[in-house]
Amino acid sequence: MAILPDAVANQIAAGEVVDRPASVVKELVENAIDAGARHVRVEIAEGGKTLIAVSDDGSGMGREDAILALDRHATSKIVVAADLVGVNTFGFRGEALPAIASVARFQLTTTDGEGDGTEVTVTGGRVERVAPVARQRGTTVTVRNLFFNTPARRKFLRSVSSETRAAWEVIGILALSHPDVGIEFVADESARLQVPADQPETDRLGQVWGRDVVASMIPLGHAVGSVRVEGMIQRPADARPTGRRTQLFVNGRPFRDPGLIRAAEAGYRSAIAPGDRPTLLLKLSVPPGDVDVNVHPAKLEVRFRERFQVERAIEEAVRLALGGLDASATLAPGGGSAGWASPRRPMAEASGDAAWLPFDQAAPAAPDAGISTRSFAAPLFQLRDTYIVFETPEGAVFVDQHSAHERVLYEQVMADFESGAVASQRLLLPITIELTDEELEAAERVGDSLRRIGFEFEPFGGRSVVLHAVPSPHPRFDATLCFRELVADLARGRFGGWANQLERFAATYACRAAVKAGMPLSEPEMRSLLVRLFATELPPHDVHGRSTIVTVPVDELERRFGRR
Amino acid sequence: MKFTITREKLHEGLGAVAASIPSKTTLPVLSNILVEATKDGLRLSGTDLDIAVSTIIPAQVDQEGATTLPARKLSEIVRELPSAAIRVTGSGEQRVQIECGRSKFKLLGLSRDEFPAFPAVKFDGAWRVQAKELQKLIAHVAFAASTEESRPILNGVLWELRPDRMRMVATNGHRLARMDVPVKGTGGQADLIVPPKALEQIRKLFGPDEEIEIARSDNHLGFRSAGTQIFTRLIEGPYPNCDQVIPRENDKIMTTDKAAFTAALRRMSIVASDQTHRIRLAFANGACKLSVTTPDLGEAQEEMTVAYEGDPLEIGFNAAYLIEILKYAPTDEVRMSFKGPERAMTCEPVGWDDPASYLTLVMPLRLLD
Repeated sequence: MAILPDAVANQIAAGEVVDRPASVVKELVENAIDAGARHVRVEIAEGGKTLIAVSDDGSGMGREDAILALDRHATSKIVVAADLVGVNTFGFRGEALPAIASVARFQLTTTDGEGDGTEVTVTGGRVERVAPVARQRGTTVTVRNLFFNTPARRKFLRSVSSETRAAWEVIGILALSHPDVGIEFVADESARLQVPADQPETDRLGQVWGRDVVASMIPLGHAVGSVRVEGMIQRPADARPTGRRTQLFVNGRPFRDPGLIRAAEAGYRSAIAPGDRPTLLLKLSVPPGDVDVNVHPAKLEVRFRERFQVERAIEEAVRLALGGLDASATLAPGGGSAGWASPRRPMAEASGDAAWLPFDQAAPAAPDAGISTRSFAAPLFQLRDTYIVFETPEGAVFVDQHSAHERVLYEQVMADFESGAVASQRLLLPITIELTDEELEAAERVGDSLRRIGFEFEPFGGRSVVLHAVPSPHPRFDATLCFRELVADLARGRFGGWANQLERFAATYACRAAVKAGMPLSEPEMRSLLVRLFATELPPHDVHGRSTIVTVPVDELERRFGRR
Repeated sequence: MKFTITREKLHEGLGAVAASIPSKTTLPVLSNILVEATKDGLRLSGTDLDIAVSTIIPAQVDQEGATTLPARKLSEIVRELPSAAIRVTGSGEQRVQIECGRSKFKLLGLSRDEFPAFPAVKFDGAWRVQAKELQKLIAHVAFAASTEESRPILNGVLWELRPDRMRMVATNGHRLARMDVPVKGTGGQADLIVPPKALEQIRKLFGPDEEIEIARSDNHLGFRSAGTQIFTRLIEGPYPNCDQVIPRENDKIMTTDKAAFTAALRRMSIVASDQTHRIRLAFANGACKLSVTTPDLGEAQEEMTVAYEGDPLEIGFNAAYLIEILKYAPTDEVRMSFKGPERAMTCEPVGWDDPASYLTLVMPLRLLD
């Protein structure tokens, strides 16, 4: 029995840390950022199989450190075990460089800005040459012929395009987590990304994820205890069942956690069509002592001390953001957000609680769409007996009366279910309704729920039921029609995508009990509907994931009239 | 066409017809008033095709003729004219000159041929009713008709005309009003379902002491006095049998002062839900406890002394319905009767010195705890 030689140990470590070119890119760029680089340039060829070169303008190393860096567990980032808790740098194990050097033709060129630079050439883990070289402050690592000495691993590499894509993913995540660092990414001599240092985060997100995607997103910002959540989330109306992106960061460090994504999706509950998956970018800030990032070799997973609090902060943050008028659809070219055109405050500045909430005259402690009821004092106008139109300082706002009422009723019914305070009007003249077999079965199946919202009915021979008492949610409520449609929907399994039976029932009821499109409303009725809409938790969204509100920003009007 | 009329008479006549002019219409001539100078005086008519109103006012007619004029503009002009004789001269069929003192207007109208013909109702053998009896029925019952469109029949008021009595019933399914008035020799028997909007015109436009002639065609009803005619479309169909649903075995009786009870209800409604107006009443031992609890808002209670006979009872109501029926109650004191928390409550006046009998009914709201 013998202790493994370092070369072998490094190759084994390489198996964990370096499994494909993308992970080399990740390790090297993280090192560059840890070294305080302002600009990092990454170049790969053939998906990184033949060349990966990462140059930075960071602190660089002197000759001694440059040689030491290639020794296993050589690190400048921690000194004693206690430093592991609360470590703020990306790398800290001191495994990456020697591991990479052990499986490639490796060259390290570096200088700390004092005297000559150093060039270390390593092949398959064996230092071949150490020579002085002229270089500006910083470090360049060049990795050629990755896995040239481990043919088994080399065989497992995928196609050039898929390896390039993997590297691009890695670069994208790093670019998002470090808006203060400029990053240039060149693959096979074509520039894929070029972002300057200190870029506003939304601009950077636009360059990395595409402007269209980002235009469909709204900012969020919320804190629960010591957990702070910021980022961007997609409007429910723009979400699709496939092709979404999600990215989580904690204290600037990317990680994966399907549970937290589910927490964010829970925040969309009742505002999004079943099956639609929103694109999410969430940045968590927690005290360094409350998160353990050292649970996965590639540091992809983290552990939170107060996981429940983190989930709650995320769900609440999403809910609050969706409650803002910003989350409603805007009418702008291409259907995107006109808000995008005007530069937004970068996320880094969003330290004030309300900084990311729209219309923030005051820091909203409770869900608040920010439209004060004062706004409704202005003339209200009903368009096509369907849309309520009014003016805000930001532009013209269109509210779909049916969708709006649906949202109001949905939240009211859910609250009534909880409190049991449902008012059911007894009828002087009971109403007899003939149903189909399926409908009768559905009515009996959800009989309890129907009674809980105020419908009292009993079989009346054959397929008929007789209604003795009905809810009375608004003066124009048509109990007979509502009952018929509600039962028909339930029989046909509409809203089948809703997981929670009570919520599904409430959504169906809200849809059927709400005022319909094409119903003329008086001005006081419109005003009352708006006041109640903006008192709900999620004013901009109905229960189908459609918008209740469309705004035409003043900017857009001015643009169309050629005033700007 | 040429006539002279006092400003006051014309103003009055236009006011009577104005209510039947629709504010929005797709048929332009309906925004106009039909003006006919006849040897009997000046006849003004307006219609929205559901209701038609026509009235004759005294005028000195020099030359007979007719045209239609924009109702709104004509009313505004007459309202602003000084109190003096107004001279109206037609020049051509659709052009009218209006002179009063030193003011002079020319108004363009539409040809009278475009104005819809009034329903053909024959008044031969018409029923005869004292206006004040009919108006009493309307004033106490019409409010209870439904405004919701799901059961059109309930949008009307049932008017049972008998040789020796008349009855009106209206309900929206949640509350009901019914009144019987004994009358002499109406000369007819009919069950009519009349839109409340027409009844409102009958209440306003006939003098209380006038005798009104009433006649019907297949689907219209006509009312006629010396100077005024009103026609309305009838609502078709059998009206639900309300006698069946008016409770007879209500055994819990509460008698109270209308004003005091209304005041207490109004106070409770402040804290009641805007949508359901739900309040709770608890009767026992000569007291009525009113209370309301609205999640997210708050609660209120009040206790008042009432005369109450029967077992203790807790029952929920839409406060707006209670306040409404009390408003129409003709006496200072009312008697309410109950059976149980899911059964209808009836309310009757106490000590009404009128041969009529009046009953209102409200269905409870379910109470959940």
